Amino acid sequence: MSQQNAIAPTGPVKKHMGLKASRALGNTAIYLLLIVVSAIWLIPFICILLQSFRVESTWQVGYVIPQQWGLDNYKGLFETDFPRWYMNTFIAALCTAVLQTIIVLCMSYTLSRFRFKMRNGLMRFMLILGMFPGMLTMIILYRVLKDLGMTQANALPGLILVYVASSGMGYYVSKGFFDTIPKSLDEAARVDGATRFQILKKIILPLSKPIVIYTVLTAFMGPWGDFVFARYIAFGSSAGSNVAVGLYNWLSKDQINTRYTMFCAGGVLVAVPVTILFMCLQKYYVEGVTGGAVKG
Amino acid sequence: MASVKLTDVKKVYDNKVTAVHDFNLDIKDKEFVVFVGPSGCGKSTTMRMIAGLEDISGGTVEIDGVVVNDLQPKDRDIAMVFQNYALYPHMTVYDNIAFSLRLKKMPEDQVYEKVTSAAEVLGITDFLTRKPRALSGGQRQRVAIGRAMVRDAKVFLMDEPLSNLDAKLRNQMRAEIILLRQKLNTTFIYVTHDQTEAMTLGDRIVIMHDGYIEQVGTPMEVFEMPHNVFVAEFIGAPKMNLMQTELKKEGDKYFVTPFGAKIEVTGDKAEGLQKKGIGSRKILLGVRPEHIVLADGPSADAIPCKLEVNEMMGSELHLHVYTEDETRLIVRVPTINLGMEQRKEMKYGKQLYITFEGKVMHFFDPETTKNLIYD
Amino acid sequence: MKTYSDLEFLKLSKGEKFKYKFLSFFAGIPKALLNLLLALWNLIKGAGVTIGKEIADICSTFIHGDWKTKLSFIFMGFGCLARGQILRGILFLLFEVVFIGYMVLAGGYWLGMLPSLGVQGPTKEYNEILDVEVTTFHDNSFKILLYGVLTLFFIVAFIYTWRQNVKQNQLAEKILASGKKLRSGKDDLRSLVDDQFHKTLLALPLTGILLFTVMPIVFMILVAFTNYDGTHNGYTNNLFTWVGMDNFNTMLSWTAGKGGNTQSYSATFGEVLVWTLIWAFFATFTNYFLGMFVAMAINKKGIKLKKVWRTILVLTIAIPQFISLLYVSKMFAKNGIVNGFLMSMGWIQEALPFWEDPTWARVTVVLINIWIGIPYLMLIATGILMNIPADLYESARIDGANPWQQYTKITLPYMLFVTGPYLLTSFTGNMNNFNVIYLLTGGAPTNPAASSAAGSVGYTDLLITWLFKITTGAESQYYLASVVGILVFVVVALISLVVYNVLPSIKNEEDFQ
Repeated sequence: MSQQNAIAPTGPVKKHMGLKASRALGNTAIYLLLIVVSAIWLIPFICILLQSFRVESTWQVGYVIPQQWGLDNYKGLFETDFPRWYMNTFIAALCTAVLQTIIVLCMSYTLSRFRFKMRNGLMRFMLILGMFPGMLTMIILYRVLKDLGMTQANALPGLILVYVASSGMGYYVSKGFFDTIPKSLDEAARVDGATRFQILKKIILPLSKPIVIYTVLTAFMGPWGDFVFARYIAFGSSAGSNVAVGLYNWLSKDQINTRYTMFCAGGVLVAVPVTILFMCLQKYYVEGVTGGAVKG
Repeated sequence: MASVKLTDVKKVYDNKVTAVHDFNLDIKDKEFVVFVGPSGCGKSTTMRMIAGLEDISGGTVEIDGVVVNDLQPKDRDIAMVFQNYALYPHMTVYDNIAFSLRLKKMPEDQVYEKVTSAAEVLGITDFLTRKPRALSGGQRQRVAIGRAMVRDAKVFLMDEPLSNLDAKLRNQMRAEIILLRQKLNTTFIYVTHDQTEAMTLGDRIVIMHDGYIEQVGTPMEVFEMPHNVFVAEFIGAPKMNLMQTELKKEGDKYFVTPFGAKIEVTGDKAEGLQKKGIGSRKILLGVRPEHIVLADGPSADAIPCKLEVNEMMGSELHLHVYTEDETRLIVRVPTINLGMEQRKEMKYGKQLYITFEGKVMHFFDPETTKNLIYD
Repeated sequence: MKTYSDLEFLKLSKGEKFKYKFLSFFAGIPKALLNLLLALWNLIKGAGVTIGKEIADICSTFIHGDWKTKLSFIFMGFGCLARGQILRGILFLLFEVVFIGYMVLAGGYWLGMLPSLGVQGPTKEYNEILDVEVTTFHDNSFKILLYGVLTLFFIVAFIYTWRQNVKQNQLAEKILASGKKLRSGKDDLRSLVDDQFHKTLLALPLTGILLFTVMPIVFMILVAFTNYDGTHNGYTNNLFTWVGMDNFNTMLSWTAGKGGNTQSYSATFGEVLVWTLIWAFFATFTNYFLGMFVAMAINKKGIKLKKVWRTILVLTIAIPQFISLLYVSKMFAKNGIVNGFLMSMGWIQEALPFWEDPTWARVTVVLINIWIGIPYLMLIATGILMNIPADLYESARIDGANPWQQYTKITLPYMLFVTGPYLLTSFTGNMNNFNVIYLLTGGAPTNPAASSAAGSVGYTDLLITWLFKITTGAESQYYLASVVGILVFVVVALISLVVYNVLPSIKNEEDFQ
């Protein structure tokens, strides 16, 4: 159609203006769309924030803006197990971030750089393993960890173990990154007299800052928001829960009427630090996500 | 300073593809040897086997009389310049060059001494504190060479070091490599796909094709006495013209009869044919474009043909012509040999007559493609 | 089916081309499956041949080896010790001692009990002195199964090590015969940071995967063939034992459940599976296209504040899902903000049944999932869109393509090509998207027809949330959970296999490069 229009004798000047006007119209529509989208995406978080300051009632209400403002909900949190949950989550996330990063980097560097006999078999095997629902393994891990005394109130070490142990399977994104570092750098270093370990330390790692940060960030955020595994391992124990399990229980039928606004306050406290961290490191996260998706 | 000896070296990949077949070569101390061939011919693989970057599937590689098959690259006492330079992007030029020395735990003052003197030779002293990113292609190339230089290695390997440079810079660096070679005075192995580089740099050239060595020889030998059609076509630009024709022996004399013309074989070539006792037979006749001349008009020893394309190269014209049976030939004519008028007339479809002398011919067996005289 | 040559294919009309491709896709499936079977068969055959070769090699090593080698067949590492490779020798010998010690002290028992999973359950006796009933525990089926499996792993590891031990001797003899020196313990240690560095690096990750993924999966596969559940926990109440294919028969049988008026397990499974697939399809593709759309809107020339729009969306990735999902789930509750808002505006009289009506609930989870998923897809799409060479668009504009045509002929094919594998993983990931479903609805509303199935099944339950419910419900029918898990694996594997075989990014890797 546009071709026909171009041929039609409307005159070049008029046509040009039409183009400009239609572009302006299109852009306005897009701005409107983006504003609506932003609103939809932000409203729930604004609601949480507002409701966390509500003091006149603790249950769900049909309005958002509190009639009475106050910090009661935040103060209330410290009379519950919330600080304990928070510490549990924080320690688990921190340990996982460190250990998982080490494991993932070992795995992905090896698969990217070494050509050993079992390499392809190993990768295919892990692909197949990944098709089993991970939750299934929790049934047995729970009982084994229970025997070892690492569940319920002492869930923390068990939880860290569960997060970290299988993290080698998540090598994909960082392997993709390592693959983009030219192999000739390794070869040059080998000719220059470096051992494989020295190559990793002096050549590869200094070049891998983005992916290391990405790995740390995702490794930290996983346990920070994990629900399933924590629920299994801490089964029924409040002291061993993390924030997700604890706050989930606050929304159960018999607690929601007294805990709803405290849930909001707790949610804010959980979300704020990780959001700040994420915003600071956003660049690396975006690099990792896009790189990972393109390489599949 | 060392000799390199390859005996029956073979490379077979996991997927059973053979990249290099029984490669035998003796490289003398301080010799400059060039591996040349089209891409995928196995030249880089062979070099990488010498470097230890690629496993050797069969045969032995010796450096200075020691079998190095099972040695790590770092233990072979070699230096290598990579095609894409492989400079460590996060290190300064100084650190790049110093990297290998520091791995050897050389004291810093000696490292300084060596790096700066190498930088001076290469003219990169001003860039020592820069990162590779901030350098031009030519400068990076120099850093890569500098990094190899400071190792004082027995063997200096270069894997297509100039192929990432533009044409002008390439010529300049080529000259510098010749100078460098005189300064370092060590054994060089150089891989390239560019026959000009091979001809200008090498003491000896190893021409490879599909994993086999086609010919080993000095630049002069491979140019004047190509062992087969592949070598004949590969060396020299534009490539050698080939004509299906017949060799006729009449008494003591030999004649070739391309496209109805009859030209006598003379000089070494005639002697060579005589010596080998070759009679009349079908041959593939090779003549280099620069050895063909334009004849004034039809004659017994001239081939009639028509002009298809005229490439003006400046100092010479490359005339693409075709004969009556559609065989394409290329003729190189120095521009000064033609008058103004003649040059203007060189247009599509012009009738031309070409001929060549009896001593510039190459004779190949049409079946085996081997040179009848030299192989 | 008729196959066309390339030129014949080009002559077909648009509809015929589509039909041809469509048919050949489905015609290809049996072939792909056949190939799989063939590959499996070849694998088994190859394994057989390898084992045969190994045995032959072992025999010839024994026959041709010297006395040091021969003694190594019984005392592992003897050859190494005798030839001066002290470190290797000690490690081999140590492994053998540990293995034999373990087998004698414990392994034998576990292995012996494995076929029965225990014979003596807990017994109760009246204790006269204390005047109470005392329970004495005996065999532990769970431990028998677990340690039985571990012992089998250990035996395999021992056989492998023993084989390595034999091979070492053979190699050492060869090296010594050629006049070279053997590697010393120091060399071995040094190679662990150099040419054998990969072994060092992989040791920790692979041990973790073996113990925390492989072993549990093997265990759970085995559980599917037992009657392990809350009332047969194998120790404190009843032992559990092997039941063969019974659980699969239960899950896949067509007979109605216990209640009489409820449906069979297979019907329930079928319903949940179909919803899981529908969900995965919509969750994947709504996100994909809308995410791409938002990315294109933000990236459009002339749009300002690109960074701000992007950051607002990315913000939602940072906030843990359990907070946003739980909160949003309450927003849509009967007395939640959404209904409150709509009612106060007078647009509706009664609260909308977001979570109470099956269809409403299903649509709502898909919509909320869009809210969750778009930011990721926006990021991914932005990255890829920026990689599409601008000259493709320039050339298309010169060829006369309008924006829509540019989108369908350039952007979309490029995106689909590059993200093909991602779409596949995203689809299977959504099939197992526990968080979104469990935190939003917990599977509700309940499906009364499926009440006889374990773990009350709801209309929004995916296989994975159902599995979770089965294991956490009162009866904890672990054996059924295992069966569901295995079936999930089968479905995911089949889908992956079929898609993998037709994905252009796998087949023609270079097309867009």
